[in-house]
Amino acid sequence: MSEIKLIITGTPGAGKTTAIAAISETPPVRTDTATTDDLAEVKDVTTVAMDFGELTLDDGQKVFLYGTPGQQRFEFMWKILVQGGLGLIILVDCSRPDPLADLDMYLENFADFIHQTGVVVGVTRRDQSATPSLDEFYERLEAWGRVFPVFEVDVRQKDDVSLMISALISTLEFATA
Amino acid sequence: MSQLKISENGERFCQDVFDTMMQQSDAVYGVLISTVDGHDVTRKFKRDMPSAKLAAMFSSVLALGETIAREADQALCRYVIVENSDGYILTLKLKEKLVLSVIATTDANLGILHSICRSAADKLSKNLR
Ligand SMILES: Nc1nc2c(ncn2[C@@H]2O[C@H](COP(=O)(O)OP(=O)(O)OP(=O)(O)O)[C@@H](O)[C@H]2O)c(=O)[nH]1
Ligand SMILES: [Mg+2]
Repeated sequence: MSEIKLIITGTPGAGKTTAIAAISETPPVRTDTATTDDLAEVKDVTTVAMDFGELTLDDGQKVFLYGTPGQQRFEFMWKILVQGGLGLIILVDCSRPDPLADLDMYLENFADFIHQTGVVVGVTRRDQSATPSLDEFYERLEAWGRVFPVFEVDVRQKDDVSLMISALISTLEFATA
Repeated sequence: MSQLKISENGERFCQDVFDTMMQQSDAVYGVLISTVDGHDVTRKFKRDMPSAKLAAMFSSVLALGETIAREADQALCRYVIVENSDGYILTLKLKEKLVLSVIATTDANLGILHSICRSAADKLSKNLR
């Protein structure tokens, strides 16, 4: 494995574009455009095709990061972006009304991909909401019969994003070992 | 969900423009105005097509076109053209937040479609807020 493709998904505003910008060694590729619906209250722009960034691990492995659009109407992009992917990061925005339902939504939509890969869940915007607890996230994952690492992250911080990526890669290595 | 809506007058104006485009060339069988973030605003389709899905897809291709232009160090993406064995799809930005897409058979050539699109886009830009 000398090149690894990872996908980052999650609700609009969870921080997919921010995470990739925080960690990419090259200027990230963005496809953000003006928001014209309710989301405009939260954000001026939203991703409509993909984000792309790259980084190199200590052992020289290249990691390509692809961020998806968050909104369900861009579901066709989810299917395109996961092709050839090795792992998935799901970002869950805790400031939204029902973060656990959001998690379910992405687990369900990416079920086929998840079936073949590793997943890490990043719980974001913790400064704005301390709930649900990590235990509740783990319980929800158990209901799916899977155990994935769950981290509280501030995606604006490179180290936090790095932590999720390392965790994801180690679960992949474990799976293929 | 609060979404970008056009007035009744605006709607009528758009339909007139769409009619003109279809009169200018029989090849044109679909015209759609959508938002840059992928919502369907108004359309005229002579065939059944999934407008909500297409609206999202047009915003993706246009954003990718603009991004590719930038990465390749080229200025201002004017159109994204999808050329297929049995048709053409042209997508272009309309003002700040709208997207115009034209779907046509190969009975017209790209030059004609360009000019039809361009003049429609000029008219629409002048009249839509
Ligand atoms: N207060 C707070 N803001 C955060 C945190 N993490 C990210 N943000 C902000 O939340 C916003 C996230 O926006 P994006 O990165 O565009 O979100 P996205 O997931 O790419 O959204 P879509 O492309 O619309 O699906 C940015 O403005 C960040 O600065 C956090 O932990 N706390
Ligand atoms: Mg984004």
